[in-house]
Amino acid sequence: MVDRVVKRFGGVTAVNKVSLSLEAGRIYGLIGPKGSGKTTLFNCITGVDQADEGQIRFKGQRIDGLKPHQIFHQGIGRTFQVIRVFPELTALENLLVVTTDDYAAARARAEDLLRFVKLERLANEYAGNLSYGQQKLVEFVRVLMTDPELVLLDEPAAGVNRTLLNELLDAVRTLRDRGKTVLLVEHDMKVVMGLCETVFVLDHGEKLTEGPPGVIQTDERVIEAYFGR
Amino acid sequence: MTVVITPTMIGQVIISGLLAGALYAMVALGLGLIFGVMRVLNVAHGPLLMLGAYTTFWLFQLLGLNPYLSLLVSMPLLFLAGVVLQRVLVHRVVDAPELSSLLLMFGVSIALVNLAQLGFTSDVRSVEYLTGSFILGPFAFSKSRVIACAFALAITAGAFVLLKKTRLGKAIRAVSQSREVAQVCGINVQRIHLITFGAASALAAAGGTLVAVMVAIQPEMGQVYTFKSFLVIVLGGAGNYPGALLGGLLLGLIEQLSSLFITTQVNEAVAYVLLVLVLLLRPTGLLKGRS
Repeated sequence: MVDRVVKRFGGVTAVNKVSLSLEAGRIYGLIGPKGSGKTTLFNCITGVDQADEGQIRFKGQRIDGLKPHQIFHQGIGRTFQVIRVFPELTALENLLVVTTDDYAAARARAEDLLRFVKLERLANEYAGNLSYGQQKLVEFVRVLMTDPELVLLDEPAAGVNRTLLNELLDAVRTLRDRGKTVLLVEHDMKVVMGLCETVFVLDHGEKLTEGPPGVIQTDERVIEAYFGR
Repeated sequence: MTVVITPTMIGQVIISGLLAGALYAMVALGLGLIFGVMRVLNVAHGPLLMLGAYTTFWLFQLLGLNPYLSLLVSMPLLFLAGVVLQRVLVHRVVDAPELSSLLLMFGVSIALVNLAQLGFTSDVRSVEYLTGSFILGPFAFSKSRVIACAFALAITAGAFVLLKKTRLGKAIRAVSQSREVAQVCGINVQRIHLITFGAASALAAAGGTLVAVMVAIQPEMGQVYTFKSFLVIVLGGAGNYPGALLGGLLLGLIEQLSSLFITTQVNEAVAYVLLVLVLLLRPTGLLKGRS
């Protein structure tokens, strides 16, 4: 899917020939020390940044070079590392703003999704007034408005309390069970190990290794990348 | 010479102020929309208003069309002009530093004024349509101002409903809060920018049509509205759309009250003193604006 992608910023190569291959219906983790290129890779996949080299294919079609809103319509949704809700729209409006084919159905779906994460009581509250964790849930279900095939989550667990986190993780598993693909960046290793079936490790913009979480955890190179020699 | 100020006079200027203020609010909402959505300060807003006034003048002059009916022409026409401006020029500077867009808009402003001078000459024109006043008890209301106020309130209300209730309005507000997130929500930001610039120009055009029956029409009539709109937006808080309404009404009141209590010559100076005070004391606007 992601094939030898390179992204440079000036003289810095943020992502260097990284290839990832994702199968439908699985949860993947993307880990690595700070500055290893995880978010840049997300940005390349979603069209926020344009890859300098390499190809990105989704369902057999090249999507590199498309605009972010076009990639969104191909069925790729994402959340951000620092939450990005629209603070001056209500929770419900945050979902309704998502472009869908059928606006009438969108309202019902938005209400369903808020119920899914138990936020229906707060539907008409400005998103900026919700707690950090609640905003994160709003951002998460906003991604689900169009029923995307691939969901990219940038640090879904950061700053979320345990109760809300468990709801979020359950929601991610439910997605997987419905045949969706999830790729998540996460620093909380418990979350990564408990959730992901395959983990990709980035270091200095290059893919260090990939494998099941149990194997990754004991990989010397991974430990070295995180803690140094 | 001493002038005795009676309560009736105060009542009269308050009403006149509010009548003028509603119009300022509508025009300023356009400037505020463009600034909120694109962070571009459109100093060509007033010249767009001038084009709206000329549209009304020519339709009245050549076809005898009712000036108020000409709203149906001037607004769509300037909407289109706004879309073209955005498509051809403004979209290039949306991501550039503020100074680039300011310079470009100054250029557009000068170009529009010069084109009007070239095409329509600098002769002062007027639309003689509605004169006289409605008399209610001790108060007299100029007919054209009352009607202008009614149209301005209706159009402003329409714009608010559009922003608040419709899907397009939600998308416009979303883009003004975060362009990047709007993109990952599948919103075509370029399209929203086009529509925003068009809608803002249409609001300016409506202002031009409504003032056409009240003031002298000439190519340089617009600039003063750019500055007034800027003032309204600062008073109300940049990016705060309901604030524009408050700011507009306030500006109308201040102008009228200062001409009653001081003299007409200084009412703009008073407005600008107020601008400085607001910037010093409440830089986010009188209502809470976006910081």
